[in-house]
Amino acid sequence: MRRAQWAPALVVAALLISACQPSTTGGGGAQKPAKLTIAAVQGNEDAALKAVAPLYEQKTGIKIEIVEFPYDQLFEKLVTTFKANSPTYDLVMMDDPWMPKFGTDESLQPLDSTYGIKRDSDIPDVVYDVGTWPPPRGPVPPKAKGKAAHLIGVTIVGNVEMFMYRSDMGPAPKTWDEVKANADKNKKANFWGYVVRGKATNPIVADFLPILWSFGGDVFDSNWNVTIDNAASLKAVKFLVQDLKAAAPPGSESIDAADRSRLMAIGQAYQSTVWPGEITEIVENSTVSQVKGKVSYIPMPAGPSGKGIGMMGNWLLGVPKASSNGQAAADFITWLTSSDTQKTYVDKGGIPARKSILNDASLNQKNPYFAALAKSLEAVPNWRPRTDQWNAVETILGTNLNAALAGLATPEDAVKKAADQIRTLMKGAGY
Amino acid sequence: MANVTARPAPLSRAGAGRFTRQERLAYTMLAPVLGTILVIVTYPFLLAVLQSLQDSAGREFVGPSNYVNALANPLLYEALGATGTYAALVMPTEILLGLGLALLVHRTVRSSSVRALLFVLATIPLVLPPIAVGVIARLIYAPGYGVLNYLLIGAGIVRDEINWLGQPATAMPAVASVDVWQWTPFVYLVLFSGLLTVPREEIEAAQVDGASGWQQFWHIELNYLRPLLLLIVFFRLADVLRVFDHVFVLTGGGPGNTTQLLSLYLYRIEFKYFDSGQAAALAVLVLVGVSIAYSLVTRALPVERR
Amino acid sequence: MRPRRSWRAVLAIPVFAVIAILYAFPLYWLLVTSLKSKAELYQTTLTLFPEAPTFQPYVSVLVERGLWVLLRNSVVVCGLSVLVALVLGLLITYPITRLEVSPRVRVGILNWALSLRFLPPIAVVVPYFGVVRTLGLYDQPQALVLIYSLLNLPFTIWMLKGFLSEIPREIEEAAFTDGAGRWTAFRLVLLPLAWPGLFAAAVIVFTFTWSEFLFALILTSTPNAQTFPVGVQGLVTQFEVIWNDMAAAGTIALALPLVLMVLARRYVVAGLTFGVVREK
Repeated sequence: MRRAQWAPALVVAALLISACQPSTTGGGGAQKPAKLTIAAVQGNEDAALKAVAPLYEQKTGIKIEIVEFPYDQLFEKLVTTFKANSPTYDLVMMDDPWMPKFGTDESLQPLDSTYGIKRDSDIPDVVYDVGTWPPPRGPVPPKAKGKAAHLIGVTIVGNVEMFMYRSDMGPAPKTWDEVKANADKNKKANFWGYVVRGKATNPIVADFLPILWSFGGDVFDSNWNVTIDNAASLKAVKFLVQDLKAAAPPGSESIDAADRSRLMAIGQAYQSTVWPGEITEIVENSTVSQVKGKVSYIPMPAGPSGKGIGMMGNWLLGVPKASSNGQAAADFITWLTSSDTQKTYVDKGGIPARKSILNDASLNQKNPYFAALAKSLEAVPNWRPRTDQWNAVETILGTNLNAALAGLATPEDAVKKAADQIRTLMKGAGY
Repeated sequence: MANVTARPAPLSRAGAGRFTRQERLAYTMLAPVLGTILVIVTYPFLLAVLQSLQDSAGREFVGPSNYVNALANPLLYEALGATGTYAALVMPTEILLGLGLALLVHRTVRSSSVRALLFVLATIPLVLPPIAVGVIARLIYAPGYGVLNYLLIGAGIVRDEINWLGQPATAMPAVASVDVWQWTPFVYLVLFSGLLTVPREEIEAAQVDGASGWQQFWHIELNYLRPLLLLIVFFRLADVLRVFDHVFVLTGGGPGNTTQLLSLYLYRIEFKYFDSGQAAALAVLVLVGVSIAYSLVTRALPVERR
Repeated sequence: MRPRRSWRAVLAIPVFAVIAILYAFPLYWLLVTSLKSKAELYQTTLTLFPEAPTFQPYVSVLVERGLWVLLRNSVVVCGLSVLVALVLGLLITYPITRLEVSPRVRVGILNWALSLRFLPPIAVVVPYFGVVRTLGLYDQPQALVLIYSLLNLPFTIWMLKGFLSEIPREIEEAAFTDGAGRWTAFRLVLLPLAWPGLFAAAVIVFTFTWSEFLFALILTSTPNAQTFPVGVQGLVTQFEVIWNDMAAAGTIALALPLVLMVLARRYVVAGLTFGVVREK
């Protein structure tokens, strides 16, 4: 009788075990897996990846499963999964400022020494450099000093931050001063001279760094000393939160990329910075845009230093060490970045890094920003500081800049507060 | 969880010979189940204590430094402050609105089918997933496409868009309004059923004496509602510590840290800053704190424990 | 009494009207947004009625974005959690309601279950993440089933205790005198009588589990185990203009609890208040 009482529990246990059998069975590295799982960012960055993935299945029989996360969460999810040492992802899509964290934590498989992936001369060196750890130039974090450099990620989205303006209404600005002048000149009721992408943390920092660099400022010097509160940096902050804000729509402090390109697309804005993805997806998309063909794309305007400095925003693919399908995953990277696949990839709205494609005249007709992107890559854009602390630095800087933009703090107070917090953080992290 | 370990195991009390057959059967059924649950519930707690004494990589013991860091972090006090503000906004609002509504319905609606209908309608918000309610709130408050601004501008009440979720002054009320929307019906339901337990004779006697509606409430009905109000306060207070989903999708804790409630703060320490030592220390502190608070109020909880 | 009622009634009508709007409009707006096309989102003004209602957002969410897999996960995880919670709940409540146990044990168990209700999940999820990681259950539905059953056990125990103690013992005892064993009496006598209560408890546990988000967010990483709320949340993004998809996912998430609610409406409040407030 007593045994009978346990019968329901046994039934449930059996059900549990049978119903929840994981649908993937991790094969050995050499075997051909049934599928590869990719963690990707949701949005226009992975649209082309989703579009070409079925072709790979047709060719090899390996199914590509793409799991999407919103930008903010992808990074957290990747770190968490790496921490859990879970083999759930065979490939991960990463924004380039995350590479230092994954490099430092040694979460990724070296692609060069383990799988023999080599540089291709058709792709600019800076694109490979951004996926190499430790970084081949610029300051190296203390923990990474003296380690052998390896390629741990290969770019699949050749993003560089650029500039867009309404070329039907005026000429291209050569300097940030001209940007400001054009903004004031063109601002009118329900039409904004400049859109600041001012949402706290990542967005405002991405909008601000090209201005900061063009003004001769920086977050760190070559020895990791914080320089965000020096005179040149403060000037750049003031330019953003005072001069440009004067011509920007209200609520700048919560505007993100989607709002910015929507304002542009519905014909309510003159100019702004722009990522390539917004161009194909929104501004040049005739189903939603009223300004298709009226907008031009150029590399970042120059600052007082006389030089305009673009910012890398590449998305890379890497293979987590925990994946049990490493070789197959690396083969997919090779296939995806090959010259042949890239043609289809671009056709589906993908953003290439190959010079031969970016400079192709017929492709430029369809993608009016290719020439500007090629130029931006050629000029060797800056990347965000190569420190595993970048996410925390970005949060601090972005929160304080956002406060200054919202008028909750003066530019002076904001940079001082940010600089103090970043110094404490970096000191605690051993820099 | 601390409570769990404090409960005596049923079998330890006396020798098996003292049990009746029924008791033996009862304990053979209970012991394995409760034992397993005890392990499943206690083990993570012990693990958290262990983790809170180690560095974030889990490699070496660092003594109490995670606790020191956790308690020295000014963001913790901002989070506690935000949680307090949230509670101070939602609890009185929900209780007053719910009480007012319960009295209003109780005194004006006589038809039992209308009362039953209201009962059913009021349960609807309670079962909606907070994440979906958060989505609705986003469609209402969000900059650019939020319908609230559209309606306010259309009605001529405001001229420019109000950035509800982007300013400290409006973000917290916006987040709190979602809670009020979802949980005022709970207060209403509990208090309305409490009003139904008030004996009719007492009310009628008071009315014969010429008591006003207010006196009737204050001297008679409130006595019957008091234990229920206590229950609501306890349950809602516990719920304020659980609030996560709708704030997560609405503001994510922003702008700045104004809506970063304790739960979002803990999430951020573990899954954004990846400081698992400090997160574990915080988790232990919260669990111990809640257990102490619970053991202090548990006697006063008006639940039937027979 | 009678003369006072009139002004109250006059006051009540506008109050009810305002409340009705405050509750109906947000739900209406969710539904309307979920029926809009992408092009309509890019118009300069909002539209209070969709110009050309389309089910495209639903297709987009379930098929193109593949959220139907998460929907299926949710149903499986919730169903299994209900089963486990009910079985455990019965194993605990049967002895304390139908057998002679010391009142201390009985009160102890009920108190313990009640105390679990007050634990903030975020403080629990941090240690559980550690356990799930060590057991290799990260991104496995089993982890969610286990945790959801435990989380809902307090409710289940209190609800079942209420239902079981209402069934007179004499009924069972009559079966014993007819020679039935305890298991037979449970199966043939008690279970049919407790059935409506069990069903209500099942529906409520299912609904609560369906809404759970925090554990699902943290303990899963792929559609192997992700549940629907995780998918809904994933569409709430500033970077893309996909409010219609977001609304469609929200509508789907709302729909199931709404339907289930109709089945168990009388027990929801009892469940939420641990039986203090009984069904009317």
